[in-house]
Amino acid sequence: MTEGQVPLQIVKFGLDRGATDVVAKLIEYDTTMIRFSNNEITVSKNYREAVVDIFLMIEKQRADLIIPLASTRALESGVERLINMAKITPPADVYAPLPEGPFSYDPSIQASPKISTTPDRVVGYVEKAIEEAREMRAKKVAGSLIASKARIDLATSGNVSAFREKASLEISVRAFASDIASGHFVSIAENEDDFRPGEAGRMAGEIANASLSPAAGEAGRYTALLGPLVFADLVNQVGALSSAFMVDAGRSFLIGKKGLGVASDKFTLTDDPTFKGTYGARAFDDEGVPARRNVIVEKGVLRTYLHNSTTAKKFDEDTTGNAGLINPHPWNLVVEPGDGTFEELIAEIDDGVYVTNDWYLRYQNYQTGDFSTIPRDGMFRIKHGRIENPIRELRISDNMLRIFKNIRDLSRGRYWIKWWEVGIPTLTPYSVVEDLNFTKSTM
Amino acid sequence: MEELLEFCINLALDLGSEYAEARFQSDTGESMILKNGVPEASLFKEAKGISLRVLYKGSMGFASTNKTTKRDAASAVKRACKLAKAASRVLKKEVSMGEGELGSDKVVVKPRVKFDYVDLGSKIELMKEADERAVEAAKEAGAELPARMFTMGTLTTEKAVLTSDGADVTSVVPRAAFSAFLTAHDTQRGTVQRSFNLGESAGWEAVERWNLPELMCEESYSLAKTLKEAVSPSKGAMDIVLGPEVVGLVSHESSGHPGEADRILGREAAQAGETYLKMDSLGMRVGSDVLNVADDPTIDHSFGFYMYDDEGVKARKRILIKEGRINEFLQNRESASVFGVQSNGSSRASAYNREPIVRMANTFLEPGNFSKEELIEGVKDGVYIKNFMEWNIDDRRFNQRYVGLEAYRIENGELKERVRNPVLEMTTVGLWSAIDAVGKDLEFQAAYCGKSDPMQALPVWTGGPHARLRGVRLGGA
Repeated sequence: MTEGQVPLQIVKFGLDRGATDVVAKLIEYDTTMIRFSNNEITVSKNYREAVVDIFLMIEKQRADLIIPLASTRALESGVERLINMAKITPPADVYAPLPEGPFSYDPSIQASPKISTTPDRVVGYVEKAIEEAREMRAKKVAGSLIASKARIDLATSGNVSAFREKASLEISVRAFASDIASGHFVSIAENEDDFRPGEAGRMAGEIANASLSPAAGEAGRYTALLGPLVFADLVNQVGALSSAFMVDAGRSFLIGKKGLGVASDKFTLTDDPTFKGTYGARAFDDEGVPARRNVIVEKGVLRTYLHNSTTAKKFDEDTTGNAGLINPHPWNLVVEPGDGTFEELIAEIDDGVYVTNDWYLRYQNYQTGDFSTIPRDGMFRIKHGRIENPIRELRISDNMLRIFKNIRDLSRGRYWIKWWEVGIPTLTPYSVVEDLNFTKSTM
Repeated sequence: MEELLEFCINLALDLGSEYAEARFQSDTGESMILKNGVPEASLFKEAKGISLRVLYKGSMGFASTNKTTKRDAASAVKRACKLAKAASRVLKKEVSMGEGELGSDKVVVKPRVKFDYVDLGSKIELMKEADERAVEAAKEAGAELPARMFTMGTLTTEKAVLTSDGADVTSVVPRAAFSAFLTAHDTQRGTVQRSFNLGESAGWEAVERWNLPELMCEESYSLAKTLKEAVSPSKGAMDIVLGPEVVGLVSHESSGHPGEADRILGREAAQAGETYLKMDSLGMRVGSDVLNVADDPTIDHSFGFYMYDDEGVKARKRILIKEGRINEFLQNRESASVFGVQSNGSSRASAYNREPIVRMANTFLEPGNFSKEELIEGVKDGVYIKNFMEWNIDDRRFNQRYVGLEAYRIENGELKERVRNPVLEMTTVGLWSAIDAVGKDLEFQAAYCGKSDPMQALPVWTGGPHARLRGVRLGGA
């Protein structure tokens, strides 16, 4: 038996032992990460692993097992353990049999182009990013480079036997022109041609240099220009909390909003794993259902929650191909662009703030959408249609629904964003949000 | 396993490394999710493997594998060395491993009640009982509890750490954990939400001690009361009493994180960020005289417990702030060599496939002499913030925001009505300097601290007694 046949074998064994439904997934990956700081490589890392994820149901009783790839006997023993776990797990409220295949998948998405992960190649990417940032007068540069290759073999009792191979490159670069003047940018790609470590370094360096000698920001409500990193963070919230599981758990500001306006009519968000050649493209979800393009928000109206077969049954809807066996989630978020250039968006703002990055987003209440997050890196006052001066130490303290409803404009140009703070790859423009609330420390 | 680790070390040295560290780690556990009273699924996870960390001409390489054959281990060693060599070509400043009290020991935390002694069905039944009590209690307070999510986890971590310069440490630590997320609802008043964690390095006896049905009853009742009764607090300058849950978080965010030596050196700059402190900040005043903050991995049964860190260095209590002044940074061997000090045993990795970096364990404000009642009695006009929901802090660890959940107005030394969402938004030094009195009622809460790339979430305790702040501005700017 080859390793690729392991999932099928597990499914068969699980059914023989009394499961009504079985999903088995073998994940093998080889990831190299180079971390750097102070213009130097701090550590070079490689992870090479093979993991088996088995999910089974005895109708409403569900159990999941994640273990290292092992011998056939050890895997069978794992399945037996899982059967016993499921048997003593009290039943859930719904039973949705796994979607019945076979399905056909787009072969051009099933396998992404080959990338090189040789040490010299990945170190070269890092050197390029540091060099470009320093050319923009950054004094010190930090970040991470990740080069990854993975193969996933999936089998289900719904007559699914499929594989996908994925390669990806990503770099996150933070440049410092002083202790309190920094900029951040990223590049992510599925192939080497689209990977731009130098551009990420240059943009981070540019922002850092522009943010030298920042003045203290003043709390208040401003028209805000949100850079791609910030807007991707907010869009990730919409994507992740459109999961039907999160809605059911009370952890979403989208509860009860299907068919209703949740954003400005300028805002359309799709989850598009069929977007060929992109970082988040994928052929199928964790139940083997072909991944598909879903419009989550169309011109401001919430069109769908994201489902696996279980949440779909509970909501009396169809799966959207977003399994997550427990929690459905988006794969590849795409925000429709606007018309203006970056310069045109700035020119339209009379009295505002341009925020280039943020982190540490926390909710006061997921259902109302009240939250705050902290701008980091370059932040600038905009007056009379032009960037006036860098500022610092403000916090965005507002409400998700209010922010999305207050989107006034989006840029034509878009960037793919994913980094430490933004987990779901997102193609996003710059966004202009009216009346955004900024607060600051009082002492 | 020790033989395999030794083989790895020797191979790394043969390949030219000046330092090698081999670690085996196995994390085995089960967890259960109960959503709105319904079991979602039972989960079992076993993550085990080995990692190698090497220094080659001052360049650090790391590789891991979850296949523990000699061949796979050798491959991991070679990959770590190859990566380190490639990076060494462009390295100007070499990494070295500083001094530390290296251990040769075996640490085993024995559970009084093994996790296996309690069957899965009973564990879920306990969660269901807690869920039912929570719903009843909210109802008693006049509200619904339409959304609840509980997760219970049991985990056993086995580690073996071997280094080329003599550390040889193994450990076995069981951990029990529980997390709850509650939403209380009222047609007129909307919703409020509460999230919290419990965790200990212990067996099932910890879960028994938590008395989840009773705890969830209290939590839900209070949450519903907050929803039904809390009024907007007045804003402006006043005195604030913070409960242990808030004090613990502040200690973690505004003392522990800024005192991590790798942040000071900029190693985390692109992810978890830097710190307002510098290498020469020892002795700097950051708070009032009554302020003493410590981090101690050696507290029995604590969630962040360990006796040796993941570089094999013996753990000890660290006094981060002493009488209001920065006293000590958290150091691993890598940072210690730059600072010219000994490692104080702060190196932790969340799994076999993660590099050990500088981390907290159990960070807390040291207790003082006041009772909670005395602290409140000393306030003429103020607010008592018992716990929180929203919080965050900037990446230099200087500007933070805590939004209270269960909170009360204080008038002439007495607790009055509940207030809703009081906002404390202030600087680290401003907050620490405003503390004039510290309680004697030290309590700990469990949390998962996130740092590094890839993200490493580590179990920690955050803790403290009640503390009183004088003349701070409530409501933010």
